[in-house]
Amino acid sequence: MSRSTFLITGFAGGLAQNVAERLLATGHDVVGVDYRPVTELRAGLGAVPVHRANYNKTAIEAVFKKHPIERVLHLGRVGNLSEAVGKRFDLNVVGTQKIMDLAVQASVRRVVVLSTFHIYGADPANHTPIAEDEPLRAGVEFPQLADAIQLDAMASTWVYRYPDARVAVLRPTNVIGPTISNTMSNYLRRPRVAKMVGFDPMWQFLHEDDLARAIVAAGCHEATGVFNLTGDGVVPWTRAAVMAGAGIVPIPSTMAHIAIRLLSAFPSYLINFFKYPCVITDRAFREAFGWAPEVPLDEALRSTVAAARTHQRA
Amino acid sequence: MWVPPYVDAEVSAAVDSLPMNLNEHGYDPWGFHPETAKPLISIAKHVYRYFRPRVTGIENIPPGRVLLIGNHGGQFPFDGLVLQMACLLEANPPRWPRAMAERYFPTVPFIAEMFARSGVVLGDPLNCKNLLEDDNAILVFPEGARGSGKPWAQRYQLVDFGRGFMRLALQTSTPIVPVAIVGSEESIPSITSARPIAKLIGAPYFPVPFLLPILGPFAYLPLPTRFHLRFGAPMRFEGRYDDEDAVIQEKADRVKQEVATMIEQLLAEREGWFA
Repeated sequence: MSRSTFLITGFAGGLAQNVAERLLATGHDVVGVDYRPVTELRAGLGAVPVHRANYNKTAIEAVFKKHPIERVLHLGRVGNLSEAVGKRFDLNVVGTQKIMDLAVQASVRRVVVLSTFHIYGADPANHTPIAEDEPLRAGVEFPQLADAIQLDAMASTWVYRYPDARVAVLRPTNVIGPTISNTMSNYLRRPRVAKMVGFDPMWQFLHEDDLARAIVAAGCHEATGVFNLTGDGVVPWTRAAVMAGAGIVPIPSTMAHIAIRLLSAFPSYLINFFKYPCVITDRAFREAFGWAPEVPLDEALRSTVAAARTHQRA
Repeated sequence: MWVPPYVDAEVSAAVDSLPMNLNEHGYDPWGFHPETAKPLISIAKHVYRYFRPRVTGIENIPPGRVLLIGNHGGQFPFDGLVLQMACLLEANPPRWPRAMAERYFPTVPFIAEMFARSGVVLGDPLNCKNLLEDDNAILVFPEGARGSGKPWAQRYQLVDFGRGFMRLALQTSTPIVPVAIVGSEESIPSITSARPIAKLIGAPYFPVPFLLPILGPFAYLPLPTRFHLRFGAPMRFEGRYDDEDAVIQEKADRVKQEVATMIEQLLAEREGWFA
């Protein structure tokens, strides 16, 4: 593919910078943007222009004016529920819409939107595995996911509304890795994790390097649509916890809502993932992009936890 | 999950001989884990022996993908367990039919975990299709909870068969083996279902055994009735899987009729509940 200028959102995060490094290494240009201050920048990214702009404000327009953006990787979805719901809605829904409008005005040739598999929801009625065209059940019990579901639904309609922008929506499973600090990787880094008594559903994980390679593959190719993404190896939650080196505390599921809140700042919508399965298939993505995960499950889990331990010691 | 450190040699050998599609960690995507399942199946073998089953026609199970369609009865799914165990211990080569469970089970602690590890999956068309395409044997009771929850007065009377299994058989070109099970209905004879309790725990029904006034909670333990299982000749159907309901229903009813005929034979042949 000829040299392109990529706009990457969520640039304060480890994933966005991981993707940026890979794009730079293959001769592309990268512009970074985040609503948060970008305090840490990887060594190789010194030359990358980084802007701080709320995705729903006019500052983001200036970014599109200043740089000849050809491809947009919107990785900046706010998954952190400690942000107030109104702010998350503004950033995730209003902001994503704004980015899409600007991308269309700038006649970009590719838009990749990073969504999440959480919107399928862990539900006793889930079959295995779940493909992309199946219902998003998470909102039924957990309306606080409304912004994530709407972001995904909106982006999915763009696949057809803006054929020239060639939109791909990615729904990765639990993303983990040494530089990832989302809810699940932080939870795995705890010395002890909870298990619901009498339940131990199947889990999948995706290492940040595999996800970064998937995003690069998606960003550089043409196929449009909605795609699940997962690493290899489906295992019960407790098996994953053991691989990560965490101790296991059994908790009766009736007490779980209280207990998990007391033990850690754990969002309630994730609780069902400890009771019911939500196993996805990413066959469509692998066929469209020729991608396959490279990091084995145990290594992905170990590296996630080991990085944090080294960090704490330092 | 914790399982007792007890593995029956016969069960272990049979499980090891099964063709399986597991990942490098020993699991399939539904959570089946033969090493955890072995102790559970070893305990199930004692339940199987308790009912002293007489099994006929098991050689009718063809190799490869197959749908086992049986009558459901007896309040608790001992019939499913006995049928699975018969396939594991009496069939040659051993088979381990993946049972399709009622939607209620994944919400029950311990049952959810035990079922998943021993290969039982949620009774969902896509689960079934995926497993058939993997050339598994699948156990379906098309009567569902309406069948197993039948009170005493309606024992061995088949309620309507759903059409789902027939559509799946047509879609995946899977032969159907009809199975009749007799002895199940007498194991926990029950008058009725206590609806308020069922509603409270979210169960499809809650049986009230005849012997409840005398035995109290022990009335929920099954009587040592003898189970009789008969596997019929494989039935192969052709046609569109997305055809009109009436067309599919006619085919499903042919399976139902086959099961009903075999039930009548078994009831006529047996010489008493326990004999």
